[in-house]
Amino acid sequence: MKRLLRTLFAAGSSRAVPPVVIGLFLLLYIGVAFFTDETLIALMAFTRRSFFLAALLALIPLNCALRLLRETITYLKIRRVLSGKPVDSIPELFDEDVDLHASPFTPELEGRLAAVGYKTRRSDNAVGAWRGISAFPARLLFLVGLFCLFTGILITTTSRTSNRRTIIEGEPMPMPDGIGGVVERITLANSSGSILVKTLTMEVAPSNSGQGKRTFGLYPPSMYGGSFVYPRYLGLALYLRFSAPDMPAGYETHCSLNAYPPGKEDNVVIPGSPYRIVFSLPVPESGGERYVSYMTGNITLQFKLLKGKEVLFTGSAPAGGEFVRDGYRLALPDIRRLVITDFISDYGVLFIWAAGVIFVLAGCLWLPIRLCFPRREMLFRFDSDRTVAYSRSEGGARIHVGAFHEALDLVDLKRDER
Amino acid sequence: MILIFLQSSVFSLNTLVTLKVLESNERDTMAISLKLIPHLLAWFGIVLILLRGFAGRRSVVTVASIAGFVIGVTGTCILFRSFPVAIPFVVVKSALGVSFLFLWGASIAAIYRSTGRGITIFQGERRGNFPLGAGIAACMASIVAGAICTCGLPAAGSTLLTLLLLAVAAGALAYALAYSAQALDKLLPNSYTVSLSGMLVAVVALLLCSSSSLLRLDLFSPLSMKVMKGVHDFVHQFMESILIPDHLFIRSYIWKFIGLLFGKEVGFWGGLVIWFIPALLIAMAIGFERLPSVAHLRQGAKRRTVMAAAIRERRCRLVIPLLSVVVFATAAYQSSFPSVEYWDPKPLPITADQSGEITIPKKGEIDLEDGKLHKYLFKQGGREVRFFVLMTPAGQLTVDLDACAICKPDGYGQAEGSVICYYCKTLIPLDTVGKPGGCNPVPVAFSVKGENVVIDGITLVNSWSTTVQATARVKEGGK
Repeated sequence: MKRLLRTLFAAGSSRAVPPVVIGLFLLLYIGVAFFTDETLIALMAFTRRSFFLAALLALIPLNCALRLLRETITYLKIRRVLSGKPVDSIPELFDEDVDLHASPFTPELEGRLAAVGYKTRRSDNAVGAWRGISAFPARLLFLVGLFCLFTGILITTTSRTSNRRTIIEGEPMPMPDGIGGVVERITLANSSGSILVKTLTMEVAPSNSGQGKRTFGLYPPSMYGGSFVYPRYLGLALYLRFSAPDMPAGYETHCSLNAYPPGKEDNVVIPGSPYRIVFSLPVPESGGERYVSYMTGNITLQFKLLKGKEVLFTGSAPAGGEFVRDGYRLALPDIRRLVITDFISDYGVLFIWAAGVIFVLAGCLWLPIRLCFPRREMLFRFDSDRTVAYSRSEGGARIHVGAFHEALDLVDLKRDER
Repeated sequence: MILIFLQSSVFSLNTLVTLKVLESNERDTMAISLKLIPHLLAWFGIVLILLRGFAGRRSVVTVASIAGFVIGVTGTCILFRSFPVAIPFVVVKSALGVSFLFLWGASIAAIYRSTGRGITIFQGERRGNFPLGAGIAACMASIVAGAICTCGLPAAGSTLLTLLLLAVAAGALAYALAYSAQALDKLLPNSYTVSLSGMLVAVVALLLCSSSSLLRLDLFSPLSMKVMKGVHDFVHQFMESILIPDHLFIRSYIWKFIGLLFGKEVGFWGGLVIWFIPALLIAMAIGFERLPSVAHLRQGAKRRTVMAAAIRERRCRLVIPLLSVVVFATAAYQSSFPSVEYWDPKPLPITADQSGEITIPKKGEIDLEDGKLHKYLFKQGGREVRFFVLMTPAGQLTVDLDACAICKPDGYGQAEGSVICYYCKTLIPLDTVGKPGGCNPVPVAFSVKGENVVIDGITLVNSWSTTVQATARVKEGGK
């Protein structure tokens, strides 16, 4: 059982796992590409539906966790062995080992190593020497980052749910599972930030379900009722009344217009009649703010009334206004701002964000250590007339190997002198 | 000796071409022979590399290479004879794609093996050096090389007798070239050894270089196109995944940077990265290989001698992977600047009548049924629409926009048996022109009234506006 577990641990923590899994996904991607142009989306959908593919993807975070464990054990073992404590299977911890039939003349060996910048520690039967800083903390961070990234991808791929809802000013916040507080105000304003050109703020009053007053911005998206609030597009909520000579009873409806940016057309079909009203917002003069109507709330809609394919007339009317001609009457009593928003339930996003931060930290830590203070270690274990020397380096290998060979020469020289 | 081989190979080459092109004249035969020479040189290089890599297995490699080449040539001829023209091309292109994927896998295994501590992933080095391994490798590579050579020949009908003669001519040619390679191999210094991964990268590089001169076998251009689409999808999905707000809220200069990821150049450079990485990884794997431990040697001079010898030997093994990088570069160049002339007529201005219909006579100054691409330019309300009319090989007239729904509207040119998208260099078989999807030209509804092709002007403009202008904006940095 112990042997089986050891084999599983060795296989699970192998460095070959991520390239093999990624290679398999790449092959699958190539295969899918033969059948559809939306290859990535199709592959994500397959992974979501297939337990086998999800399990295959899960091998990468599992491998990261096992490697984390394995490398931590190795690091601790190296620390132990350099401080002279007994450890099993020392050769596996080092790059190189040499067996000499001589016992080291430790004070001179320590002096020589100190002269080339190594710190030494002598114990009963060993001399450990090292210089530089271990890159292990950076490595640890890197593996944690990798774990977070692939865990995030796995969670996102397999469990993300997205619900598109329309948030209308003055109406209750529509939630995927119920109703939230009333949206008190939607504000779009220019931003002086270096990334976002505008800020969008949605203020929501406390809800009956116990949610307090909340304000939602653009980035990072806030959570509401367990979902991220991810604003996508701006639009207008319109309440209109329409009557025509052949429709004296008239018709009234609430509808939402996807009319931004200005110039974009959206239409309202009058059911059971040949009438269709095409709405758009006037395009501002060149250089003007395109979203000024949304920002100020002074909204004037242009419209085009069609009967079948025939355009009956065109015109414009502000919010609360009315347009009457030839027996036709179009009133726009209420126009409000709306934001088409995705409510995204996905905790994988948090892992992906965390991975980004951890990768940056790992990079900032690794680069100076690797360039300026690479870790180099030696160990000399002696037993009456026999010395076994070990060496490893994380960088600057040529210089380190030179120092190691000189130290070995010194040990060997002492044997000849005796 | 080599001269005799060369004379016999020229004779066999002419025989091979003449057999394949039964009805062509002498000048055509010469031109086609010249076109075949790069493919034969590539195969010659492959045999030379295999002889060097499987030192001690020369006779097996030579015989297997000759047999593989003959099988490749005759097998492909049989495929051309038995199936529609597109099938053999798909088969050979798939074989090339698989070999490139295999190279990728081998290169990753090589880098992991040389950088890992005590990792043994790939036992191929020992196993591959058996006579059977050497024979299979030589045979497989030569089958593909022979198939590429056959794809480079013009299509012609063949009887059983000509097929037999073709096999004999291909065999004679292969014999001459393989024994020339063996003679050259004996002249090269022994210090230039080739590792198994080095051999693999060189063979695949030569096969891809050979195939890149044939439009329908070229892998680099479709790869670039797939990379462009893949990057576009990835960026979009990444932004969705981490909930980055829509473009309307982000500063335009940031969008310009993001827009760079949606351009054609990304496909080209990304394609180059994928193209070169296996060769570079294998070179790096050789460069990172651990030098032998010399710690047991107590004389510094001896240590330095052993190390210097090991470093020299490592450098020699680097020559082939680095030369392969040059071969890959040649393949990418041939693919990006193909020496093929496309039929690409200047679009003729055309107008609609009072009812908004465009009428083009089938047999006027231009014969719409001649199987050639005929381009037109229609202007209405400040908008310009380019479209073309084409008679497909199946005898169906088709009207399509001179653009697809994916790429920037750079238009199409016509080559033998296909049209090519100038933007992403994808070849569209003529049979599939008129069908929507992928990089196919966007089909436009039309009708044939009497001897005229009639197209609705508004439909044409709307079709251009909804699909083509959207792709142009996306590719130029919008979203």
